[in-house]
Amino acid sequence: MNSKTLGVTLALVRDTFREAFARKIVWGFFGCSTALILFFVFIMRIDVVQGAIATVSLFGNTTRSLDVQRLVRQAHGAIAAFLFTAGMFLAVFASAGLIPSVFEPGRIELLLSKPVERYHILLGRYAGNVLLIAANIFYLVFAVWLIFGIKTGVWTAGFLWSSALTVYMFAVLLTVVVLVGVLWESAAVTTMVTFGIMIVSPILAQQATLERLLTSETSRNIVRGAYYALPKVFDLGRIARSLVLGDRIDNWMPVWSSGLFGVVVLGAGIYVFARKNY
Amino acid sequence: MSFAIETEGLIKIFRSRWSGKEVRAVDRISLRVEPGATFGLLGPNGAGKTTFVKMLLSCAHPTAGRAMVFGRDSRQAEARRPIGYLPENHRFPTYMTGRSMLDFYGALSGMDSAARRKRIPELLATVGLAEWGDVRLGKYSKGMLQRVGLAQALMHAPALLILDEPSDGVDPIGRRQIRDILHALEQQGVTIFLNSHLLAEVELFCHDVAIIHRGRVALEGKVKDLTAGSGYRVEAEHVPERLEHDLRARAMAVAQRNGNVEFLFGSRDEANLAVDLLRAQHCEIESVARTSSTLEDVFVKAINEQ
Repeated sequence: MNSKTLGVTLALVRDTFREAFARKIVWGFFGCSTALILFFVFIMRIDVVQGAIATVSLFGNTTRSLDVQRLVRQAHGAIAAFLFTAGMFLAVFASAGLIPSVFEPGRIELLLSKPVERYHILLGRYAGNVLLIAANIFYLVFAVWLIFGIKTGVWTAGFLWSSALTVYMFAVLLTVVVLVGVLWESAAVTTMVTFGIMIVSPILAQQATLERLLTSETSRNIVRGAYYALPKVFDLGRIARSLVLGDRIDNWMPVWSSGLFGVVVLGAGIYVFARKNY
Repeated sequence: MSFAIETEGLIKIFRSRWSGKEVRAVDRISLRVEPGATFGLLGPNGAGKTTFVKMLLSCAHPTAGRAMVFGRDSRQAEARRPIGYLPENHRFPTYMTGRSMLDFYGALSGMDSAARRKRIPELLATVGLAEWGDVRLGKYSKGMLQRVGLAQALMHAPALLILDEPSDGVDPIGRRQIRDILHALEQQGVTIFLNSHLLAEVELFCHDVAIIHRGRVALEGKVKDLTAGSGYRVEAEHVPERLEHDLRARAMAVAQRNGNVEFLFGSRDEANLAVDLLRAQHCEIESVARTSSTLEDVFVKAINEQ
């Protein structure tokens, strides 16, 4: 990447950050993360006895004794689950407006009049969006990991890996935002379609059960096809949980097939954008 | 010689996705703008001016024909490097300040950060917004947005400036300021392409003009020739291509009307010579008339007659 290309990419990323911060929702996201971190720093007290058993105090009330390893992994697991559900919805909601806003009449013409390829504009915006959410997720996860590590002496890398998987899942879902944003230029439609994919994911994850319940072969093929074609948010959530708990992961198919979906959808977004008249 | 702008048979047809209905926004426009020229593109609303400009910038893709900028196909990103553009109805991000907006678009134009840091205060001062650089664009008036938009177009010192209604919403003092900036750029050899419906503005500033109507060039020529105190208009039909080419070289302006070709000559002798040549080629002379007009007269006539 030469210096001009890098300069353009950085400008597009910086612009995405600037716009995201101008929208209050990103501050809300950042605020929630900070509130959670402060909760773990000041409110929750963990006493480790002989390096194994911990008592947890919340607002001065001591709860039952727990195995410290288990305690840390469960807390990490709860945060990872939160990030994969509510956090992911919030991230998509926060980002959904950032892609279509680029296509507003009067703004897109000016961007396209610059000596920058169309795919570069779209990828710069996409990268800015991913980096923005990644910064927020890493901020929360790393801070919580550090707090628990300092308070308990338990340092597990699985939690950090799970945050990388969360960002990966977001990056895949953001490709849907890009494609729908290019096609319809509407934040509302973009949000609805992406949320739809997220909501349908846990249902499709039960495809083995569904196939048993369905009577026609066509229906079974449709369910099977949809499961393999669409991003597997629910399955990746399970993998993230396994990473946190230190369980063995036997099947990485949901990871690579979701990535493949992302590549195809992003490619389609770039193709449509390149051909569109503004 | 490569022209600042050169289009050949440029066509843009918009098709409705659902009904399949076609709208021919630009219909075989061939235009040439020489480097250093001040060129005005005129036309009523919906004539196809903005679509034409968008094809120069590759915002819209031509259905047929081609557009070149300094000899490069306008579809190449590099063709847009020498262009500074101020769109009509622009929507600059309101979360940016004047300074950050100039910095952003300067970076997209390929300027490095040191060059941007040096250029931004200069331009803010040039457009009279030196005190407003750190204020968000959301607080700017329409006229101020227009001026900061012009500064944005000038960030990378472009060789070709394309301005779409540049004085829209600007008060008379601001207009004068914009005109002075454009005159200074003209002296520096910058090609200025003005897309406007303000005839007085074009007449005051541009040396060359083209009038577009229903997607076609209705008339083109030098403003001083088109508005000359006297001239002779010769309209003929069935003009052979070779003769049309020869007469085009002698005429001040040429227009196509209902299949006829209309030549505007500066003197009676030239008009007589044209009539002789046309008759020698068995062309039908539709009319010969003396002219005296303002750009507004020329515009109205060109639109009504097409």
